[in-house]
Amino acid sequence: MKTFPLKIGTPDGLLFDGEAERIICRAITGDLAILAGHVNFCTALGMGKAEVVLPDGQRRTAACIGGMLSVMDGTCRVLATTWEWQDDIDIDRAREAKSRAEEILAKGGLTDQEYAAAEAKLRRSLVRIGVSGR
Amino acid sequence: MASDMKAVKLRIKSVQSTMQITKAMELVASSKLRRAKTRAETARPYFEELHQTLRDIANGNTDFSSPYVRPSSADGTCYVVIGGDRGLAGGYNANLFRKLEADSAGEPGEITVLPIGKKVVEYAARRRIPMLSEQFAEVAPIKISDCFTIAKLLCANFREGKYGHVKLCYTTFISMMSQRADTFPILPLNDLEESEDPEHLKKIRNLILYEPDASQVFDAIVPEYLAGLIYGAVCESVASELAARRMAMDSATKNAQEMIDKLQLNYNRARQASITQEITEIVAGAEGV
Repeated sequence: MKTFPLKIGTPDGLLFDGEAERIICRAITGDLAILAGHVNFCTALGMGKAEVVLPDGQRRTAACIGGMLSVMDGTCRVLATTWEWQDDIDIDRAREAKSRAEEILAKGGLTDQEYAAAEAKLRRSLVRIGVSGR
Repeated sequence: MASDMKAVKLRIKSVQSTMQITKAMELVASSKLRRAKTRAETARPYFEELHQTLRDIANGNTDFSSPYVRPSSADGTCYVVIGGDRGLAGGYNANLFRKLEADSAGEPGEITVLPIGKKVVEYAARRRIPMLSEQFAEVAPIKISDCFTIAKLLCANFREGKYGHVKLCYTTFISMMSQRADTFPILPLNDLEESEDPEHLKKIRNLILYEPDASQVFDAIVPEYLAGLIYGAVCESVASELAARRMAMDSATKNAQEMIDKLQLNYNRARQASITQEITEIVAGAEGV
């Protein structure tokens, strides 16, 4: 199958730079996949599982949270706020974050801002736990 | 003669204690610099890719439904100025402010500043430039989450029409030896377009597909883009500040050493002169007997 250049970057560095066969991501409107020869495209990323299929057929899974995906003249760039490969996810930390966020939400009496922050934290930890599959 | 010697001795002592301080500051700066440099280097690819992507989008964009994209109707520019917390870093802060002045001189309308770094807050207060917020006065502890807060603040004020353009003013970390103050436009995206290039105007624009639609996409990505760029610029600036301080303190230490050497020579000369004089006096006294 044809491949295309893919770059995945976060503020913590460039995590992937090379050829890929396919990338599947959760965007704000739902899951989407990019193949080689895609039209120029731009969307914002949601929170969810992402999958990169390498030219040798190997699949790599990651937790992808926020950011943007763009395809420009054949090059796909994923600039995410957080992108963690399945093996890099700290499951204990995610579980801890989940229980902490649940506690905060259960306690109640929060301002809108605090509520949004706790909810975002809970959702992030859920994505991490889901992707890690442990 | 004796009083002269004492004065020189005191001078040497004071220069020595200053040298101790500059030496210590240099060591502190270079140990901090190592960490800051790694941080700047890891953030740089993201920073560059982000900027490149948005430039590509600005060049190819034909959909002006989002306020972040269309040419701005409002005058006035908001500068996000990232400077240092402390002085004694050679020309670091001065170069940044000079760049800011040179850049803002050509801008029509009012200028607002979002200062990051204590020195920038002081500068804006002295110059009576209105500040958007003084919340981020310290540059050292700024994390990525703070950058998101800054980005949201910038976006909210931009949408309200408080200013029509947003520019970033920071210092690029080129190497340990050289840093350069730089500004570039970040909002609206229309400002990013490289329109001076005549080749580009002739080129047919490749249409970009936005999913679900342009204004929703830009609403979601613009704050992220701003936060990413600001974070990258903060990393670069912090590394630049430390490198500039290390250089300045290094040369200060060298100058102090030079000064001590010179003073020591003067002191020795004065000492020798006083001994010679004493001998002459004794000899003259002996002859008189």
